[in-house]
Amino acid sequence: MSLYDLAPTAEDAGIHIQNLTVSYDTDRGRFNALKNVTLDIRPRHITGFIGESGSGKTTLAMAMMNAIQPPGRIDGGAILLDGAGDVLQLRGEPLRRLRGRYFGFVFQASSNSLNPLKRVGAQLMDLGRSHGISDLRGLLREAKALAERIGLDGDRVLTSYQHELSGGMRQRVGLVFALVLKARILILDEPTTALDMLTQQAVLEIVRSIHQEQGLTTIVITHDMGVVAEMADRVVVMYAGRVVEEGPTFSLLTNPQHPYTQGLIRAIPRITGNLDDAKPLPGSPPDLATIPTKGCVFRERCYARTSVCDTVDPVPTSAHGDGLVMCHGVDAS
Amino acid sequence: MQLLRRLISRLVGGAIMVLVVASFTFFLVRLMPGNPVAAEYNTLIMRGMTPTQAQNEVRVMYGYIPHEPLVDQYFHYLWQLLHFNLGQSISYEGVSVLHIVLSDAPWTIVLVFLGLITSFLLGVTAGVIAAVKRSTGLGNALTVSGSLLHGIPQFVVALLLAFLFTTLWPIFPFGAPYNANLTVGFNFPFLGSVAYHAVLPVAAYAISSYGGWLLTMKSSVISVLGDDFVLAAEIRGVKPRIRFGYIARNAILPLFTVFALSLGFMFGGSLFIENIFDYNGLGNLLVTSISNRDYPLMSGAFLFITMAVILSNIIADFLYSVVDPRIRRST
Ligand SMILES: Nc1ncnc2c1ncn2[C@@H]1O[C@H](COP(=O)(O)OP(=O)(O)OP(=O)(O)O)[C@@H](O)[C@H]1O
Ligand SMILES: [Mg+2]
Repeated sequence: MSLYDLAPTAEDAGIHIQNLTVSYDTDRGRFNALKNVTLDIRPRHITGFIGESGSGKTTLAMAMMNAIQPPGRIDGGAILLDGAGDVLQLRGEPLRRLRGRYFGFVFQASSNSLNPLKRVGAQLMDLGRSHGISDLRGLLREAKALAERIGLDGDRVLTSYQHELSGGMRQRVGLVFALVLKARILILDEPTTALDMLTQQAVLEIVRSIHQEQGLTTIVITHDMGVVAEMADRVVVMYAGRVVEEGPTFSLLTNPQHPYTQGLIRAIPRITGNLDDAKPLPGSPPDLATIPTKGCVFRERCYARTSVCDTVDPVPTSAHGDGLVMCHGVDAS
Repeated sequence: MQLLRRLISRLVGGAIMVLVVASFTFFLVRLMPGNPVAAEYNTLIMRGMTPTQAQNEVRVMYGYIPHEPLVDQYFHYLWQLLHFNLGQSISYEGVSVLHIVLSDAPWTIVLVFLGLITSFLLGVTAGVIAAVKRSTGLGNALTVSGSLLHGIPQFVVALLLAFLFTTLWPIFPFGAPYNANLTVGFNFPFLGSVAYHAVLPVAAYAISSYGGWLLTMKSSVISVLGDDFVLAAEIRGVKPRIRFGYIARNAILPLFTVFALSLGFMFGGSLFIENIFDYNGLGNLLVTSISNRDYPLMSGAFLFITMAVILSNIIADFLYSVVDPRIRRST
């Protein structure tokens, strides 16, 4: 029996990432964008991914769907999906079907995630046909209802071409595509960057309620700590292709262990506070070519750097109860 | 509605272009060294005609009177043109230019379109393969074939084909569109003969355009493959067949512009190709009328070729706006 013959899982879909390494081929050579990432994404939770630009958030999300594009390559590791096995072992037709069944992905640049030459409704039907849905009218009704729920004019959107929609509308249409097949895992890559504050608030609210209604496993990639604080049950902090800290949102935000997480949180200006209270992190993140291959990747910017940081890779230490942190400065407790 | 308005505006634009070209040929003939009209007039007088007779004769041939003021001549010429009167040929004495042009035009149109379709189908298919398999030997070989053939001028291709297949290894005929002994009509021997005579010229058109299609299609496919929506469709698990349709339709769009340009190139090429194969079409007509100094025929053939190019451009442009919704709404 092949993996995709399994009935659609009504059950929980957790993701277990093991020792994942991904590299990109560049003019200057091949560099790791993710290195030995091991991480559990819990079912029925909303997990927030944060980290500066280039830290590997999108790469990690793409790897989970086995969708790393050339010049990228998965060098090793496994992505074990509850009920489906190792996603990285799938190719061709089984992979295609699994994607429709398990993953709903909203693109970071979702403003261009549609075929410019076809109406939105027609592309929804293509999606339905691709995943064996016979009641295409029902699918369109469903899509329309979803669209209206997130503040779009359903009829208008379904009969529109992409170029007739605003950036914020396109992003929400991307969300409709991600949700309409009732996939088990919803991945939002900076889903609200094109939305104004009020719409963003409303959309996140609805994502949260759909998440709960359908018992989804949701991943929200964002730069916005506010979004994380509001939405996420757990937070994953990434730096230079590594997960440096992970844990329940409240504990992680109020009691960050890793100097990088501490810096990220201190860098947020508060509306009610003094702008000078926000302290930007010194320095800038390394690019792929300058990530140290040995020792802690954050040491150049760290206030607590010691000599051990230069030579020894930090190992995961448990923190926040059921979370972890990768830092030599944190004692195992 | 929008489409209709667009079509009408294009047709009006086309009509204006035809007018410009007609005016251009009018003045060109007049500005040619030795003013052919006046020369003809003088020859007739020398043959012993009275000025009135000579004037009438020239008027019939060229459609205007040589000693009228230029502006009057010009409007007279345009007026005649509106009635499809292109004057009379000099080399085919007394035969109306329109008649000659109309009897030669279909052959050119058939050749050009067959050549265009053949090269388009071959080039586009090869272009898709060259794009998708661009890192393999096959992909590279196709790209190289395209670049090489793209660099060879049309007349060289035609000369080469003519030499190879009518002289060195004479398996194809040379000359006229069909065997003159056959009865013209919708019968098998006649159509077969037409096809047989068309093979080499069509091949010349096809070979000289193939490379252009291949290279354009290849770069177009590669650029579409890099678009976000292609990856998005893949990640949504859209079936490969449907995805291929998305890519093909998007990649072929830019080719409509090339299509329009290519038609002009091919009609232009008919000058060489028909001449080399001695094939009776508009191009050959134009060349012989120039060497015979048959100015009425020359401007007639020239006008007709121009009109064919303009009309094909309008059609290509219109089709473009049918397939691309983004164009449809603008202008
Ligand atoms: N196609 C590619 N070719 C080469 N390098 C790439 C490619 N895609 C991503 N990278 C590199 O991989 C690293 C991680 O990129 P990724 O897009 O995952 O970052 P991110 O955390 O999502 O950033 P952002 O917040 O800006 O979206 C970056 O250093 C980036 O330069
Ligand atoms: Mg990203």
